[in-house]
Formats: sequence, structure tokens, C-alpha cells
Amino acid sequence: MNPEIVPIHRKESLREDGMLFVRTEGIFDTMVKIPLLVASMIIVAAVMPIQSSFSSPRALDLIIYPDGTTHVSTEIDVDPLVANYELELFGNTIDNLVVINENGFLLTVDIIDNSALIETFGSSVITIEYDIHDLVSKQSRVWTFSLDAPSDFTLLLPQNSAIITMTNIPINMEIINDQNQLTLSAGDTEIDYLFSTTPVIPDPIDSIDFVPESNYLLYAIIGGVIAVIVIGILIIIRSKQKTVKTIQNASQIKQKTETIDAETIFKLKPDLREDDKEIVKFISNNGGEALESDLRKKFLQPRTTMWRAVKRLERNGVIEIEKKDLQNLVKLRKNMEEEE
Amino acid sequence: MKTLALFTMFVLIFGTASTSLVNEAYAQDNPDILLRIAIQADKQILNQLDKFYGDSIPSDIQILYEEGHTAVESLGNSLPANIEQAKEDFLTAMKSFKQITRMISEPNTESRLTISDNDLKSKLNRLDKYFQNLKTASEKHNTGIEFSEIQQLFTQAHQQIDSGETNLALETIHQLEIFIDEIKKKIREHSSHSTSDRVKEFALKHLIKIQKMLEDPSIDPNMPELEKANSLVAQIETLISEDNISDVKKKFGELNKLVKIIKNSIR
Repeated sequence: MNPEIVPIHRKESLREDGMLFVRTEGIFDTMVKIPLLVASMIIVAAVMPIQSSFSSPRALDLIIYPDGTTHVSTEIDVDPLVANYELELFGNTIDNLVVINENGFLLTVDIIDNSALIETFGSSVITIEYDIHDLVSKQSRVWTFSLDAPSDFTLLLPQNSAIITMTNIPINMEIINDQNQLTLSAGDTEIDYLFSTTPVIPDPIDSIDFVPESNYLLYAIIGGVIAVIVIGILIIIRSKQKTVKTIQNASQIKQKTETIDAETIFKLKPDLREDDKEIVKFISNNGGEALESDLRKKFLQPRTTMWRAVKRLERNGVIEIEKKDLQNLVKLRKNMEEEE
Repeated sequence: MKTLALFTMFVLIFGTASTSLVNEAYAQDNPDILLRIAIQADKQILNQLDKFYGDSIPSDIQILYEEGHTAVESLGNSLPANIEQAKEDFLTAMKSFKQITRMISEPNTESRLTISDNDLKSKLNRLDKYFQNLKTASEKHNTGIEFSEIQQLFTQAHQQIDSGETNLALETIHQLEIFIDEIKKKIREHSSHSTSDRVKEFALKHLIKIQKMLEDPSIDPNMPELEKANSLVAQIETLISEDNISDVKKKFGELNKLVKIIKNSIR
């Protein structure tokens, strides 16, 4: 008989399938530096909108006039370190082209076929407006708008026009001055419309509750804020309950078994400073333990002063310091008498 | 502290994620809009069929219309519970209506817009928009251009169109076009000084950067582009001192091309 010696802890933690089970309680505290994590999150949160703001164009708005000519208005982020910006126009029958930078200054433009070479010279945002005759065609009474849009865009249809077909699903539709304005996705879009003598503003549908898009946005934000508050409160309540429970349990156990009163400590440690004795008294009356922050509040001491006092008591063997929820929990030592 | 940190993290995560949530919410199709557009299209198609065929609608068109109309009805029934089905119904209805539109439109009449299609009112409105843009630019440049005459002409053109005086309106619009072109030229002249300042400032700033880049020891000193680039830098500096902005722009374009080649050679 030569039984193999197996360490007890290994025997317990290794199961038949050879999986190693590790206690994860407190791993968050030990492995992750929370302030570092929070700082990283702040940086990520700050950087995200910056990254998304570099996408171009910023806005694209089109207005179709009753004669089929379309007014294009677009705002584009450009690299201020580059002298020129080349923009592909939606066609080559262009009129009334104006390009203005973020300061409202007129920029010089050269149009070659379908593209416009804009002298930006340090500008970071440019606004381009022009009229184009290439986007709408007419067959019999039906007018057809077609565009391969580089981004989502709005399209204001002429007054008294009625959509009869469209190739994709709109993101939104609004009525502006008795005209339909559609918000459409990037990509190929084709819309057929005609002019009607009867009013063509679509009636709201009674059977379906129409919630304007801005309300969705508002509801999402309000809902989010409420959710954050509720979850925050729940977390705080739960952690407080835990702390209270733990402290209560600890104090109950101590009261039953291990509490050393302050007078005994003073007898064992006659050299303690008066201010340190006050701290010991408070901890003793508090069930033998107290958070360092509570001590600071009680004695109205700055953080460093209290930290030095606590360290002094620790060196004297009166107390021991434990980490609890990233705070120092100061406990009177249980076995002082035995040591002495 | 831990609780506070966790709460802060939660708020940050939510804050970060909420922007995408909001975007998603924005991009969500409003199902009610689909129904409104579909019902409007259905009515218009029916009107067209009445106008074209009266009571004798051809059977193939009748079938297509029935398909489209059924899809509109289904769209109404799908909402608000089944949005995916509603989208499908919308596209089915639109497809049927498109086919009908193609069939009832007279063949071979498709044309790009011609001058006869132009609506004077539209033209005047577009011209007004163009004028407003230039006016804003003019104010920014402090040109001091007087706009009262041109504004008077706009009012006059609108009145002429409203009273059916087409030829007079056309004449006024033509006058407006000439005036607006003059304004544009004036703004350009007036802004030429500030434009040249802007170009000079840009060029000088970037020349310093480019010169630093050209001094990079990892660039092959025998590279022909390097010599050309250095020569262009010197030329541009001279041109700037001579206020020759148009040549500065040209040379700067050439220099940028060379810089790109040199940068690529380092990589």
C-alpha cells in the first residue's frame, strides 16, 4: 500500500473532467483596477462621437421643384490639411452652384464633367448648393426621381404631388408647408409621382396611433434615464443592505465571542497617544470595527492624518486593516491578550 | 466606492450604447408612414385608371391593381403587430403600382426636361435661393453691395408671373440673372484679398511641415522627386513673397503629388 499523496486543495478543486474551478468572488477587485476601467470608459465614450462626426457628408437635402429641377444642398466635412476637395456631383447639368466654407466665405470651384474641384485651403466644413436637371425625368404624366445617394437624405416633393410608387422603404415622412418631405436611406432610390388637382397630403390613419419620430427619441432618452436611476438605486440599496448585514453579523459574532473592550487595550498598551485612544474607544463602541472614512467623519480629521493614526495603531498591534469595497475597514485585533 | 464605480461604469456604458440605440430608433421605419403612402398611391392609381380606361380597364392591369390593392389592405392588417410583413406588403404594392404606371404611361414619351417644362415660378424661386446664398457670402465679406434693386426685380418678376405676363417675367428673370452674375463677380473681387491671405497662410503653414518631412533621413537622398520637391518649395516661397497666388495654388498641387510619392517610398 503506497497511497498517492494528493494535496487536499487540489483534490477539491479538480473534478473528473479536469476542470479547474477558481473562486471568482473578489476577482473584480483584485484583477481590475476600477479607476483605470472607469477612465478607459470615459475615454471610449468621449472618442466615439468624434469618430462618428468624421463621416461625410454631414447632411444631404434635396428639393424637387414643380418643373422637375432639383435643388441639392449638402454639408461635408473636409480635411483642413488638404488644399482641394473633389466632389462628385449628381449629374452634369448644373446651375447656380455656390460653395461656402464654415466661415461663410465663398470658395473657388472648377467643374469638370460630373465633378467639382473645390479649393478648400484649410476649411474643415463646406456647404455646397446647386440646381440639377438630371435627377427627374417625365413620362406622360408621371414624373420619376432617381438617385444613387451616398448617404441618407431628405427629399422635399413639390406641392400637390402624389407619390404613386417608390422602390424602397422611407425612414420618415413629414409635411412641410403642405409638401411631403421624405427621409430616405443611402443607395438607389426611385420615386414616381404625379401632380393632382385634389389635395394629396396623406390623411393621418385614425386606427393607428401615430407617434412622431422625435417622440420616440424623447421616450428612448427618458426611458434610458429612468432605467439608469432605478438600476443605480437598486445597486446602492443592495450594496447597503449587504454592508449593513455583514457589519451586523460581524458585530453580533464579536459581541458573543471576541470583543475586547477599550479599557483592556489601554492596559495592554499604556503608551498609546490620547487621540489614538479616542479612536480605539470609538471602534470598540462600534462593535470592534469601523471604516476609516467613518473615523475621519467622526473625528473631523483630514485623510492623511487619520491614515497616519490608523497606521500607528496597526504598528502597535492594536488594530488590523482590511480592504472592504475599496475602503479600509479598521478592526480591533482579537488576539492581543494572547500575544501579550 | 465600488458601488459608485460600478454605477459610473453603467452610466457610461449606457451613455455610449444609447447613441446607437437612438440611431436605431431613428432608422426604424415608421409603419404608419408606409400605410399613408400606400393608401395615397392606391387612390392615385385608381384615379389614373378611371381617367385612362373608365369602366373598361384591361384585365392584365386589373389583375395588377388587385394585387397592389390587396397588398395595401394586408399592410393595414399587418400593422402595428407585424412590421416585417408590413414592409413586404408595402414593397409588393409599390411593385404592382409601378408596373401599372409603366403600362398606362404612353410609350416613347420619356424625355429629359426641356425648356418647355420649366416653370417660371420654380426658376424664380431657385434664383432667389441662389441670390440669398450669395447675399450671405457678400455680408460675410463686407462687400457693401447694395441689394435693394435686385430685391425689387424679384418682387416685380413674381407680380408678372402672378398676372400672367410671361414674356415680361422672362425678361425680368433674365435681368436678374445678369445682376446676380455681377454680384458674384463683385464678391470674388472683394474677397480676393482675403482668399489670397487664406491661401498664403495655408501654404506657409504646410510648407514648414513639408520641409520637415523632406528632411527625414529615411528618404533616399538620390530620389529624383526629393530634389524636385525641394525646388518647388523654394519656388512657392518666392511666389508667396511676390503675391502670385494663382501660381502658388498650381505649384502647391504639384508639390502635394510629389510629397505623396515620397511618403509612399518611406513606407
